[in-house]
Amino acid sequence: MTTMIQVENVAKSFTLHNQGGVNLPVFDEVNFEVAAGEALVLAGASGAGKSSLLRILYGNYRPTRGSIRITHAGRPVDIVSAVPRTVLDVRRRTLGFVSQFLRVIPRVSALDIVRDPLLARGATPETATEKARAMLARLNLPERLWSLAPATFSGGEQQRVNIARSFVDPSPIMLIDEPTASLDAANRDVVVALIAEARAAGSAIVGIFHDEAVREKVATRYLDITAFRKA
Amino acid sequence: MTLHATFPDTALEPAPLLSVAGISRFYGERIGCADVSFDLWPGEVLGIVGESGSGKSTLLRCLAGIDKPDAGEVLFRGGPAPLDIYSVSEQERRRLMRTAWGIVHQNPRDGLRMDVTAGGNVGERLMDRGDRHYGAIRERALDWLQRVEIAGARIDDRPRQFSGGMQQRLQIARVLVSEPRLVFMDEPTGGLDVSVQARLLDLLRVLVRDLGLAAIIVTHDLAVARLLTDRLMVMKDGHVVEQGLTDQVLDDPHHAYTQLLTSAVLGV
Ligand SMILES: Nc1ncnc2c1ncn2[C@@H]1O[C@H](COP(=O)(O)OP(=O)(O)O)[C@@H](O)[C@H]1O
Ligand SMILES: Nc1ncnc2c1ncn2[C@@H]1O[C@H](COP(=O)(O)OP(=O)(O)O)[C@@H](O)[C@H]1O
Ligand SMILES: [Mg+2]
Ligand SMILES: [Mg+2]
Repeated sequence: MTTMIQVENVAKSFTLHNQGGVNLPVFDEVNFEVAAGEALVLAGASGAGKSSLLRILYGNYRPTRGSIRITHAGRPVDIVSAVPRTVLDVRRRTLGFVSQFLRVIPRVSALDIVRDPLLARGATPETATEKARAMLARLNLPERLWSLAPATFSGGEQQRVNIARSFVDPSPIMLIDEPTASLDAANRDVVVALIAEARAAGSAIVGIFHDEAVREKVATRYLDITAFRKA
Repeated sequence: MTLHATFPDTALEPAPLLSVAGISRFYGERIGCADVSFDLWPGEVLGIVGESGSGKSTLLRCLAGIDKPDAGEVLFRGGPAPLDIYSVSEQERRRLMRTAWGIVHQNPRDGLRMDVTAGGNVGERLMDRGDRHYGAIRERALDWLQRVEIAGARIDDRPRQFSGGMQQRLQIARVLVSEPRLVFMDEPTGGLDVSVQARLLDLLRVLVRDLGLAAIIVTHDLAVARLLTDRLMVMKDGHVVEQGLTDQVLDDPHHAYTQLLTSAVLGV
């Protein structure tokens, strides 16, 4: 199987300059790989650094040390040292991030939010609309909401728009941070199925799941990041 | 409607659109901006953030060729040959500013001709560029008014009959109609009410993305920077203290000053 992510010697600490310059070590010497078709679930207590690690993989947090090779269009790219426009290109074509919250953009409808990744990758407007509608329906978002901007939606509705956007055209690598937090059981099952389908189609998954039942259905492998805490 | 930036394959891009090296500008003893260097690539949107007085406008005025810095060089590669913008003739620089560049001023009155109709304000830029066919110019002006959400019926009204938000949208149409490669904006939503700002921001976001413009946007508002920019430069006392991908700088700020700026605003 193709290695999609290769993490080498990664460390992260935060220096809080405006709180007396205190240094907050999170983890050190993190090494692992993820192959296409795998689902690696990050484990560890709250505050262990699971979200920080996921954000580092996305190029959102900068590690204190180490490298992260992402297989992008068949070539390795170190997301840590890549220039901004390369990081953005890697995100557009290779890295998907599913966060707990939808970042609402004023005046953009739910349907357009979900269509967008398809259009960005060159789908025709008709195909994009059709797939987006199917995905919103599958996540049980009432059709009357599709043409509205999600600013006024409930947390669970926004979350489903977010998931629809992320899974309408799964990326080769999917980074997932507690996507089911505000969902009911039926929609949780949809998310589990979407992740399984993405994996079957060859995506490499790295995820954090609060819910133990979800975790066990999704994981092909676990990584307890408490092990990387500095002594 | 697109939310995404479209980036050409990075391997295919030979050179940055703008190369900035060592720009410094002083006001007597006082530092305006000091030793600023960066490259800007086609389609990239760079934000310059920092508190009032940090040197953002001084830097932008130098980059846009409005003021000359005391030191440094700016190379523009938007035409047939690279252009050192401070050493070209005044005439050449003006031509550049009319065709390949656009400047959106904070105060629309600085960018508009207040005694010329809305249609004339937009059409004038096309005539500067060499367009001569009156009917075609008026048609394009009309199209652009509609793109910035100004009703076509207002084409013969003068900007002073417009609200502040409309004036700003008209200025944007005037700048973008000539299809510049690079646009400079200084606090484009600065003087407007919050509700008017949101509409203008959304419009800017869509236009910048759809046209694949390179842009340099000065703002003190981190939410504006988050929405519109790919990259960020943080300025303090005339110096760039931190730069990087916009979400990196805002979510994982390293410099003490950036941490102060981001902690002062919730949820940007
Ligand atoms: N941007 C940040 N600035 C400072 N500290 C942070 C930041 N993000 C996370 N942390 C800290 O890093 C530690 C790990 O947090 P996080 O990665 O969210 O853990 P988890 O997801 O496992 O609960 C926590 O102590 C948290 O407060
Ligand atoms: N025309 C000027 N004459 C003298 N000092 C100036 C002038 N313009 C700006 N300055 C000074 O240069 C510094 C940077 O100002 P400016 O570039 O306007 O900052 P910003 O746009 O970030 O608010 C400030 O200390 C300001 O007082
Ligand atoms: Mg977390
Ligand atoms: Mg200013």
